[in-house]
Amino acid sequence: MEKGFVMREGENGFERAMGILEMIYKLPDNLSEEDVEAMKNFVFPELQHTVIGLLELPADRELELFFFRLLLGVFKEAQRAQEEGKKLVFIPFTFPPEIFYAFDNIFPLCTEIVGGLITNICYGQGERFWDFAMGLGLPDSLCSANTIGTMPLFMGPGIRPDAIVYNSAGSCNPNAKIHAFASDYLGIPQFVLEKPVDESARGRELYRGYMKRFIRELEEWSGSEMREERLREVLEKSYQAVRLYHEYWELKKARPCPVPNIFSMTLLVLRSQLWGRQEAVDVLQKMVDISKERLRKGEYTAGEELARIYITYIYWLFDFSGYFTWLEKQGISILGDILAIHFFPEMDFSTKESMLEGLADIAFDYPMTRQMGGESISLRWLDDVAWAAQDLGADACVFGGVHACKHTLGTAAFFRREMMKRLGLPTLMLTGDVFDKRHTPMEIFQEEVKTFVEQVVARKRAQARRKKAGPSGDAAAESG
Amino acid sequence: MDTATALGRETEIYNDYVKEWKAAGGKVVGYSCVATPVEIVEAAGLLPYRIKALGNAETELADGEMSLFNCSFCRACLQLCLDGTYDFLDGLIETNGCDHLRAMFENWQHRKKLDAFYYLKVPHFFRDDSLAYFEEQLGELKGLLEEKFSSRVTDEALDEAIRGWETVRERWRDLSALREQDRPAVSGSEALALEVKGSSMLSRDFAALLQRFMEERKGAPGARPAARLMLCGPASDEVEWFEEIERLGAVVVADALCFGARAFSRSVPEEGPPLRRLAETYLSSIFCPRMYKEYPRRRELILETARRARVDGVIYLYNKFCDLHGVDSVLVRRDLEEAGIPVLVLEKEYSARADIGRVKTRVQAFMERIGGAA
Repeated sequence: MEKGFVMREGENGFERAMGILEMIYKLPDNLSEEDVEAMKNFVFPELQHTVIGLLELPADRELELFFFRLLLGVFKEAQRAQEEGKKLVFIPFTFPPEIFYAFDNIFPLCTEIVGGLITNICYGQGERFWDFAMGLGLPDSLCSANTIGTMPLFMGPGIRPDAIVYNSAGSCNPNAKIHAFASDYLGIPQFVLEKPVDESARGRELYRGYMKRFIRELEEWSGSEMREERLREVLEKSYQAVRLYHEYWELKKARPCPVPNIFSMTLLVLRSQLWGRQEAVDVLQKMVDISKERLRKGEYTAGEELARIYITYIYWLFDFSGYFTWLEKQGISILGDILAIHFFPEMDFSTKESMLEGLADIAFDYPMTRQMGGESISLRWLDDVAWAAQDLGADACVFGGVHACKHTLGTAAFFRREMMKRLGLPTLMLTGDVFDKRHTPMEIFQEEVKTFVEQVVARKRAQARRKKAGPSGDAAAESG
Repeated sequence: MDTATALGRETEIYNDYVKEWKAAGGKVVGYSCVATPVEIVEAAGLLPYRIKALGNAETELADGEMSLFNCSFCRACLQLCLDGTYDFLDGLIETNGCDHLRAMFENWQHRKKLDAFYYLKVPHFFRDDSLAYFEEQLGELKGLLEEKFSSRVTDEALDEAIRGWETVRERWRDLSALREQDRPAVSGSEALALEVKGSSMLSRDFAALLQRFMEERKGAPGARPAARLMLCGPASDEVEWFEEIERLGAVVVADALCFGARAFSRSVPEEGPPLRRLAETYLSSIFCPRMYKEYPRRRELILETARRARVDGVIYLYNKFCDLHGVDSVLVRRDLEEAGIPVLVLEKEYSARADIGRVKTRVQAFMERIGGAA
């Protein structure tokens, strides 16, 4: 085993993905159906799923092009920043990127976004990177999102972070261990923010102390101070996005849901990589505008909204077309997943201290950090998803994530029972892998969801309608 | 209890020692993680009982709660909770040892009502602020045990319990020295059987058991092993594994296991407030991959042990889906092999008979590689 093993020059996942994004950058603004069809035929089969997933539905097309162009700009900035002497850090998707944008000399790149990009854009998806990890002797029970995201570092050449940050020590072993491994193996410094599994005032106080230490360590290492003015600028941008996020959340409540399913993925990328920047505000504004316009016009992709589902864990992300678009065309609206549930405290912008405390509170309650890092994973997870599902008017839940998520899998049976007891919401349990289609192919997912919706959700709604209609309705239905 | 009985195949979770304790009106508090200071439990007049499955590999009830992607040892333990085997427990101490362990405890908590349940939050770093917090946690644990079991945990009682467990650790080190001899007087499977037995005893009885065993073995000529092996990995109470490996002619002369040497690596200082001493000692010597930024210390502990015991090779074994040890095993293998010590990494299921056959084949091949074939 040699460090920095080169698979083949030019095959680094991140750079390859950037090259393909460059093609997207050159596309015209107003793509026609024919353009999309032509593009589909121009690219290799796996990328077709991404192209169709992003561009097939006219309502999403322009926004997704706009979004991917902005994302490309940010990735280019990451490369440029490192060339100009800034420190590039890999950060987890369970952590506010605002913290890093508030430094003059640090640029964050979210590991899972890199993994997701590779999976959706590169030929062979993320599988070659996963297989390389297995070749190193790593266990196949690791998280594919993190493993695919970090493996390009081992395979080189290409982008290489100056440090690795993780915050999941004790709340997600696969995430924490693969980041720690990369740091140990490659000799890159690691910065860890531990979240105590203590939701009391003492736990929060401790966490705030840890956060301040974490920032001090970053300052010492990067040689740049987190300036109050810069922090304020970033947090003001963050809170502009927060206001739009709340609008977006409210729009999801409408029936049929006017928010296209693919926006769920877009929101995830914004929050994990771009929050605190103007790009996040711009994209969210467009997402809200498009959804409002659809609401005004009463537009919905399918003939009828058959089911409103809440994903109790995370989306599958290796096939945008098969997941987000297919569901939407079936009349199944995705209302959110665990990563879509954010709690933003009132922010006091008056001093650096008050802003840091606010930032610590955001990080403490960050999706997945809050639930998996909670004192009781099962109860915190259940409470939050039940709240979101009820607030948004879900008909059912779907559990699906990755076999690496041992924390949720270990209490998923309890979760399903309690969701039924509390809200009467059936939960479909699926095993699969967000980034690796070899585990459970998308066709199986589709078949399971379709059967679940037809046999459980639609039937339950029909029963409710009959019950509401009363005896005369029953009679009418029978005679009809 | 004589030593022969103690070393006999342990099949009962609710063993005679615990039955006698309960019959005399004693209360039993379960724990699973080696980061739990048993001294506090003992000082409260309670019997600390380390959760184990003792080779009971059935998991059909637990599989309804946890998934097949969860560690089979945790599922096996939960099975024994769900089927009522563990109903003799009066209290339980959870820790955030790993994802699987937490899930096991949460299910346990949802399904069984106990007199006392305490979540001991063990930090993942050994730093000043973590240490202060851990000390607070130990204070809370002490308070809870006092309240729930109408007990009073005095400093004197804590000191006495600390001395008791220090004696156990000293004896364990003596036992380890007998294992490390050129002709080991104690096998690895015997050592593990003693630890498994002692992990549901008071310190004085465990220390006496170790003493008696060593006296019986003193001066006994041990066999020269075909290979001197060291075992690394997580919690394993599978004595049968060790026996199978040793039947091939090898002797497990040292280990860095959670049920094993890692539980005895610490030594509590004599000066200072008892809870502070316990907090410092336990947090600084967990030696588990659940601790972060401490890989260099883990590596040194393993290397030092391997060199001292003059091992021919190291077997790193862990249960499937264990990310903590699965990832660490890659680094350990790299670093040990760089130091000239051959390593075999084995992933297995808990106590599965089918796995034993597969693993034996691989151990045989490993022994051939290191020149220790029988």
